[in-house]
Amino acid sequence: MTERTPVTVLTGFLGAGKTTLLNRVLTEQHGQRIAVIENEFGEVGIDHELVINAEEEIFEMNNGCICCTVRGDLIRILGSLMKRRDQFDRILIETTGMADPGPVVQTFFVDEDMKERLFVDAVVTLVDAKHVWQHLDDSDEVKEQIAFADVILLNKCDLVPAGELDKLEARIKGMNGMAKVHRTINAKVPLEAVLEVGGFNLDHAMEVDPKFLEPEYPFEWGGIFEIPAGGASFTATEDPDPSMKLVLIPVEKADAENLADAREKALRIFSHEAVETQPDGILTADGELYELILPGGDIAWKVSVEAGTYAVFTEHYPEELNLELIGNTGVITASIAAAYKPDHEHDEEVSSVGIEQAGDCDGEKLNRWLSKLLQEKGNDIFRMKGVFAIKGDTNRTIFQGVHMLMDSQDGGEWDGRPRKNSLVFIGRGLDREALNASFRKCLA
Amino acid sequence: MKSATALMPQQWTARLDDHCLDLRWSPDGAMLAAMPSLGEIVIFSPTGEALTKLPGHAQGNGSIAWHPKDNRLLTYGQDAEIRVYEAPFTAAPKVKVLAKAWAERAEWSSDGAHIAAALGKTVAVLDAKTLNKVRGIPEQRSTICDISWNPREPNEFATVCDGGVRLWKLGRDEPTGHFDWGGASLISTWSPDGRWVVTGDQTPSVHLYDVRSKDPLHIQGYESKVKALAWQDKSEWLATGGGRMITIWPCNGKRGPRGCIPIQLKGHMGDVVSVDFGPSGELLASGGRDGLVLLWMPHKSEKPALISLQQREITRVRWAPAEGHLAVGTEGGDVFLFSLQS
Repeated sequence: MTERTPVTVLTGFLGAGKTTLLNRVLTEQHGQRIAVIENEFGEVGIDHELVINAEEEIFEMNNGCICCTVRGDLIRILGSLMKRRDQFDRILIETTGMADPGPVVQTFFVDEDMKERLFVDAVVTLVDAKHVWQHLDDSDEVKEQIAFADVILLNKCDLVPAGELDKLEARIKGMNGMAKVHRTINAKVPLEAVLEVGGFNLDHAMEVDPKFLEPEYPFEWGGIFEIPAGGASFTATEDPDPSMKLVLIPVEKADAENLADAREKALRIFSHEAVETQPDGILTADGELYELILPGGDIAWKVSVEAGTYAVFTEHYPEELNLELIGNTGVITASIAAAYKPDHEHDEEVSSVGIEQAGDCDGEKLNRWLSKLLQEKGNDIFRMKGVFAIKGDTNRTIFQGVHMLMDSQDGGEWDGRPRKNSLVFIGRGLDREALNASFRKCLA
Repeated sequence: MKSATALMPQQWTARLDDHCLDLRWSPDGAMLAAMPSLGEIVIFSPTGEALTKLPGHAQGNGSIAWHPKDNRLLTYGQDAEIRVYEAPFTAAPKVKVLAKAWAERAEWSSDGAHIAAALGKTVAVLDAKTLNKVRGIPEQRSTICDISWNPREPNEFATVCDGGVRLWKLGRDEPTGHFDWGGASLISTWSPDGRWVVTGDQTPSVHLYDVRSKDPLHIQGYESKVKALAWQDKSEWLATGGGRMITIWPCNGKRGPRGCIPIQLKGHMGDVVSVDFGPSGELLASGGRDGLVLLWMPHKSEKPALISLQQREITRVRWAPAEGHLAVGTEGGDVFLFSLQS
């Protein structure tokens, strides 16, 4: 087999900044010869690059099963490009704002010629941070573009307050925990972040989002404060929601270990019934879950505790309601803080599930499980990626799936890393517990 | 596998600028036009002399075709230029520049009076003498993948697009025939007797449409998409390549291949990409991605003879009109001529 050429797929809703990024790719010195396949017609050579138009034609096969749709225009154009002796280092495919990335990615799994000569290095999705909210709930295309992404550029970040960006990023990560998210202005990002993604690298995905495999929490934020004698007050000026839950827990000192212990206590307290607390109400640290009522305007709650060190866990990010802890001498900042993967931020339809299990898999059981799963749930699983330790195999095994299609390859040596199995599903209506339980049956 | 080296030795070899897209013999067999994917189109004599080199099309070549009765050569490419040369190529070609669109396929009508050029989602039909556009077809829902003229009815051609095949007659605005199966067909060819239009499909299948009875036949079971189709001159046999096996269907019965057992030829180790029946219909040549060029006598033996093994994939095999000379092109741009020893 000849060496395969990497393909970058650029997706994003109308106005998200695809053209801006494309122009940068075409004009910046990156030392690569890139063939660009664009939506708009007009073949124009730019220096050493080649820009070709595509018309987003879907080839339907097998009675229109979504898993079997491929892009006919790409097969035609890429087939023609691959016949040139003067090969390109990379191919970049720009899709229209309304395009479903599925058929594009499936083309490289289904068509024998494409599969043999090309591979998808990354699906890069541009998200308009200011306007995407309008589409997140009602546009299947936007959800699918996010679900398919390996890299997401949260673009136009200068137009959105930091708190809103945090909320958006949390929502997006709830949908696709595997993608690396960059916050950008004018799509400015080092080009290697979009052109050298390296295809499938689950280790990298885990590195990027350490919360990905963690359990979900009913709170988004936790921090430890030193509260002076005489107490303090929480103040808020914004009211994005009618109420917000909060808990105060005494800790010994402000470090990661104490924060982690308190997080587990908070998890239990958050399962209790909350006490509705109106503005000017009193908050204590005696294991109560408070539901702060947010009627609007400048509001405050008195924190009635002894001087000491306290952990605070909040349902939303404090920035969202400009929540501040005010002591006798002014604002008290958290000595240590952490963001948590919130369960309530999951998109009801599209989410991602990560599974990690130490030890070896039984290769046959794994194959049977994945085949059955993708066959039965393939319509709802957009992408699946996994690195597996198969019993009897000294190397890592990599599986990739797009809808019902699956491909495996040798992932190289473990290089002293512990043998384990890491896999990610991104799809609609995924059942985390059921996936975990059924995967555990594949262990050797 | 028997070696045909002594039976069919190599006569000459030459190198094109790029991947050999197509090889076409002039009707009298005196010239072989060889077209690379990018770069100059070369006209060879049967002895391997490069008679002339014609400029390639910007952004890539598409197709070449000799006029069915004389020595005019048509070239077409992604610059959407139709160029018509006349041997011995001393005069500048007649040129028609069409609108910008995907421009890969152009063919002469069977009487040579017209040229049909696929142009994105439509087809431009030109008067072959003046190159004036005499008609088009309404824009289709998808790009035209291929065009083939009816060999027996010079005013009729078929387009492959949009889930099947449509038949068009000059002077009629609407298609005269529809064969829609919903999937994607890639290539087409019309049987020499005008009865069948056959397509090779993106799914591993072949569609055969009986133009007279309007009866479609879907043949499945191929290993991969079907890239190679060839008719025997009497229209009795259709050779198809989809995967490593060559499947030959008998098509002369009333029901065509329906219910028939095909001849299946195994010898290639990679996908078969080109097949061609010799003029007598007895010999079949095939080329594959495995670099093998094989010679078959399908009605006598299922065993092939090896003509050649190349390092690069074979892209085209083409018999000369006088049987015995086989031109072969490769992915690396090599062109070979092999000749049968008498």
